Amino acid sequence: MSVDKGKKSINRLDSMRPLRAKVNETYLKSLEAIQAGKPAVWGMLNFYYGDPILKAMDIEVVYPENYGAIAAAMGVAQQYLDRADADGFPTHLCGYSLTTLGYASRMMRELDGQIPPEAPLGGMPRPLFLMSSAAVCDARYKWFQSLGRYMDAPVWTLEAPSPGVNEFFIDGNYDRMVDMGVKHLKDFVSFVEGMVGRKMDWDKLDSTANLMIEVNRVWHEVNELRKAKPCPMHSRDFWSAMPAALFLAGDLEDSLNLYRDMCREVKDRVDSHTGAIPEEKYRLVFAELPPWHSLNFFDKLAERGWNFVIESFGYRPPIPIDLSGIADPLERITRFNLQFFAGYYEDARKQNVLGGAFAYPYLKYAREWKCDGALLHPLISCRSASTHLPYVSDMLMEELQVPSLSIEGDIVDLRLFDPEDALARAEPFEETMRYYKKMREQKGLDW
Amino acid sequence: MADDCEGLGKARQIYSDRSLRARELKAEGRRIIGYPCVYVPIEMLTALGLIPYRSCGDIREPVTEADRALPGSFCPIMRNCLDCALKSKDDFLDGVVAIHSSDPQEKTARVWQSYTDYPYFHFIDMPVTVRPEAVEYFRGQLDDLKKTLEAFSGKALTESKLEEAIESHNRQRSLVRQLHELTKPSPPLISGTELIQVVKALMSLPVAEGNDLLAEVMSEVKNRTDGPTRKGARLLTWGSTLDSIEIMQVFEANSNVVMDESCGGIRAYRAEVQNSADPLEGLASYYLKEITCARTFRQAELGESRKDYARDLQSRFGYLKGIIREWQVSGVIMLLVRYCDPFAFEMPSLKDYLDSLGVPSTYIEYDYTLGALAPLRTRVEAFLETIS
Repeated sequence: MSVDKGKKSINRLDSMRPLRAKVNETYLKSLEAIQAGKPAVWGMLNFYYGDPILKAMDIEVVYPENYGAIAAAMGVAQQYLDRADADGFPTHLCGYSLTTLGYASRMMRELDGQIPPEAPLGGMPRPLFLMSSAAVCDARYKWFQSLGRYMDAPVWTLEAPSPGVNEFFIDGNYDRMVDMGVKHLKDFVSFVEGMVGRKMDWDKLDSTANLMIEVNRVWHEVNELRKAKPCPMHSRDFWSAMPAALFLAGDLEDSLNLYRDMCREVKDRVDSHTGAIPEEKYRLVFAELPPWHSLNFFDKLAERGWNFVIESFGYRPPIPIDLSGIADPLERITRFNLQFFAGYYEDARKQNVLGGAFAYPYLKYAREWKCDGALLHPLISCRSASTHLPYVSDMLMEELQVPSLSIEGDIVDLRLFDPEDALARAEPFEETMRYYKKMREQKGLDW
Repeated sequence: MADDCEGLGKARQIYSDRSLRARELKAEGRRIIGYPCVYVPIEMLTALGLIPYRSCGDIREPVTEADRALPGSFCPIMRNCLDCALKSKDDFLDGVVAIHSSDPQEKTARVWQSYTDYPYFHFIDMPVTVRPEAVEYFRGQLDDLKKTLEAFSGKALTESKLEEAIESHNRQRSLVRQLHELTKPSPPLISGTELIQVVKALMSLPVAEGNDLLAEVMSEVKNRTDGPTRKGARLLTWGSTLDSIEIMQVFEANSNVVMDESCGGIRAYRAEVQNSADPLEGLASYYLKEITCARTFRQAELGESRKDYARDLQSRFGYLKGIIREWQVSGVIMLLVRYCDPFAFEMPSLKDYLDSLGVPSTYIEYDYTLGALAPLRTRVEAFLETIS
């Protein structure tokens, strides 16, 4: 068992560290490459759809969503928020988008395209083009469209079908989703080729797609192991390790090896009954986006015996799907992308849970990872990560007698998250969890 | 409904009690299908003998029931819409067709379906671009809608029935456009308030009855001597949905609103479904491309590899130029419902476009409650002073 010195409440995985470091290293290497003349693209998280195309074409991608979180955590977001407000953007908009808009306004209108000197971690360079995505929320493509006020960077908006649970199973629907996805991706490839002035290396795309799928398969396996009691891996390790898979950071062969290392370490913990915290009294699921700026909050909860065993549907690897029989890499990529959401639909339909892609997974998580409670974190300026939470709370109680605790925050206004207040609610919630454990027993549920 | 009531009086009556006619039809054995967004191809409902009924919120109704299902920081119109459904204010509906026209529409649809028990519910997925593959996908979605509607209605949706329905709804679009021509004179012959009442009435009636109502209204308005008085400014209102006369009356206290570019105004009527060998393809093309809602991602040219902001603005907002010129608009109110992301992101760009045309504009945000009226009034008065 490895104990993280200075943070004894959570036993962090050794194998997490190189994965976490990889993201920072990749980012800094990316900056160096851009400074040396490589093209840079601003991208939106696109769930394995556009990223493999850019990766295969050796294009550096910067993610303003992530940069918004960094800017907030490092205390520099406010000036960009103020600037976006002064430029006429309504303040209720996504905090990450306002940060980016303010940043772009400063970079382009004040600094003639140069990176602002106060920008942390080297800032975001001027992009060649913008790759937005229709997945998850309206902001994620309207925001990049709005950047046209400040920079002449063309925008490509990746489509993201999201049918209803029942509608998904109408004859022919899935094939039409795949058909659109492949055609769309083909056009995207042509667009990118035109922007960078060179052709796609299709062999490289083929291997990139395969590596992406395998990395996520192994990563999925790691998370399945967390069903063990005690849970061997805490959510903090998930959040540290997931960017390498979700954003295809750095060398994918290297990532695959690192996730395999993690799988071995987690298996060892399962075999030796080693938990992520010294004494697992309560198993919790967390939804949706974590308070990146205050993750040590979970250490305090760990001291009380709260082990966070599963979390954040929006960051998870897709449920594995066998795509080995699909020759066309664009089709493999499309089906893998669709699997991110659609992988849950069969179960959702059987359970008659119609709350959409973001809601049903939590029923599965709470049941299969045997959760005693859910910690829900609605965010004032991120409606896409918050809207489903009341439904999730209702669903977990009605179906599984699993109670939820809701603690508000925001993605950029860090004042809204009050860890002390949240911790004050821990004890009453523990009583609630103990009560509902008895209720579950009466209902015949085995945890 | 009183037989002696016609034209604008009838529209007012329907507006004040929208469900009355729907309930009468229901009692006659007709089936009523709710739809919360103008992107739903209601021609398909009409073609099967179903009555389309626009599900709207009610600005006078405090939201209570929806609190258990949707957070407070969420589109207040959709919260209100859901609230009305959860309070069974639409208990005459036999079903709902929802559509992925925005996040709130999508997320509300999931909750709506989960918390209610209509005999029929269908969710149409909708792409955000107007690329050929997106139109093709959307056509497929309409085909899926056709399947579930046929199963529900027990009837076949034939091409001829659909073409007939398209013709009726196109006729309505044409009549609504003709009606809006009557706001060109100074003073306009019909007020923005009256237009809201008429449009909302249309969305509460079968298309044939709506067309009859429009004919009555047009005849009355052309011959009226009691029309609106000339006020200082001629305004265009632009936003997502403006469906309440309370809001419009704030604007019209000291101005003439000559065009409402919203889903409670002309937006769903400005263009027509084109004849097509494949009527579903015609519908897909119309609904995805022709409705000028901020939710659709438009470019000057598809997959453009060069960006020019002015050209981009023209491709997104160019349709307003002709309206502003022909209706002699002297000011634009960009009306934003709080938490509406697609329109919120548009505001600065639209302002840039209007500035390029030399048209004064102001952006006003509200939360779809009666409490919003007083601050709205203050903002509007201030804007009118600046352009007077």
